[in-house]
Order: sequence, then C-alpha cells, then structure tokens
Amino acid sequence: MNNQTQLAERDQDTLARRESEQASRRMTIAPAVDVFEDSQCVTLWADLPGVSKDKLEVKVHDSNLYIEAEAVIPTPQGFRLQHAEVREPRFARTFALSADFDTSKIDANLQDGVLKLTIPRREEARPRRIEVNAG
Amino acid sequence: MGDFYFGSDLFSEFDRLQRQVSSLLGGFPSSIRSGTFGAFPAVNIGSTDDSVEIVAFAPGMNAAELDISIDKGLLTISGERKPAQTEQEELRSYAQERFAGTFRRVIELPETADPNKVQARYSNGCLTISVGKREASKPRAITIQ
Repeated sequence: MNNQTQLAERDQDTLARRESEQASRRMTIAPAVDVFEDSQCVTLWADLPGVSKDKLEVKVHDSNLYIEAEAVIPTPQGFRLQHAEVREPRFARTFALSADFDTSKIDANLQDGVLKLTIPRREEARPRRIEVNAG
Repeated sequence: MGDFYFGSDLFSEFDRLQRQVSSLLGGFPSSIRSGTFGAFPAVNIGSTDDSVEIVAFAPGMNAAELDISIDKGLLTISGERKPAQTEQEELRSYAQERFAGTFRRVIELPETADPNKVQARYSNGCLTISVGKREASKPRAITIQ
C-alpha cells in the first residue's frame, strides 16, 4: 500500500493570476511543488528555475504562505525568441497554513532553482503516544 | 452588473485564452521529435545573428549530471532528476508535482548551426546552451550596384 494521502492535482501549466498593487493583472505560473510531512514538520519543495535569491519573496500573512518569484535569464543582444514553453517569467503560489504550524520558524533555502521550505509544527501539536492504563 | 465580465480586462482574458488554446493545438506544425506537451525540462529557443540560444528549465540538478550531446544536427539534453525525498516510514506526501526520473529532450538545430561552437552553462536551475552559427550563414549587408 502506498502512503500517499490526498495527492494534490495540478494542471501541467496552471496559470494563476496575481493581483498586484497597481491593479494591473500579471500572468504568473504556479510552480510545481512537492509537499511532505513527518512528525516534526512539513517540507515543501518548489521548482523555480531561473530565480535568484534576491528575486524570491516568501512571506506569511494572515496564515497564508505566499511564494512569489521572478526568473531572470540573461539573453544576448539581438535575441529573438522562436519557441517558448515557459512564457511568463513570474511564479506565484499561495498555501493556507493551519494554526498548528509555527510560522515564526520557517526555514527557506534556495538552491539551483529549487526552493526548500521547512515549516515546523508547534511543540504541542506534535504527535504523542497516549498511554492507556489498564484498570 | 458592470463587472460581470471581468471588468475592463475582458479582451486580455480572451487574448490569454486564445494563446493557451493555440499553444495546445499548435498553430504551426510541430516537429515529429517534439514529444508530448509539458515534457521535462521545458525549453525555450531563440536566436541571435551569431548563435542559436537554448534555455532548458531544469531546476535542482547538478551540472555534472546533465548530459548534452550533438549528433547530426540534433542536440540532446538528458539526465536524471532525483526525487526530493526518498520513501520513508511515517512520511506523508501531499503533493508530488515535480518531475523525477530520467529525461531526454531532443532539439533539431537549424542547418546553419555549427556543432563545434557550443557553450553550455548551468545557473539557478537553468541550462543555457549557445550554439554558434556558421560564418557563411551570418547576415551580410548586400551592396547595391
């Protein structure tokens, strides 16, 4: 039996829309993610190719986790695009976090275009074994 | 009810829809080697006067694990991407959208590409390959007599 619960489904190129402050709608790509949970924390991996650390924003607001990023790919002078499978250089995806996560201790690490987020569960929310007393 | 149709953005929404549909149906006949839509890694291709530029979006790889070869005008990018986490007891998975496994993408280079002038660079999860063009194919100004 496999232990995968509730595999989230995602369209190959889901296009999400982000409302920016200037009320101009910009197209963004929902990055592919892997989400795993063990007894200590939830680990999220997101593919953000072409994103450097300074173009990545991870924030928690109103118990939502926002990942926003922009890819920058240097192109030589006189470059003309002929075939594009990645059309938008912007990534955005939002996740709702339940109250049992300790959002003040989220650890983020970006390497080779992959973001790894570790979201620990609160101490009191971690699983405990409850002893049953035989009476 | 003024905002019933997405406000004033209706036309850009149609535009977006049209672009999406045409990218799925393919406005142009695509190459027989192009494979399925959404294959890993996604590839963008463009050119300059001097070179053909290819960007493969392959995050989370080691540069040493990427294999690039050119044979008879075909550029092949292949390799294997390891899963983020290996199967463990008491590890629950909620989403596995990221590609894992072996991959291979083949790109047909134009006649004008010179297989001896190839540069490849991997940074921030993007593989950039630049293939130079033959001298004879570069644009020239033609003088009018």
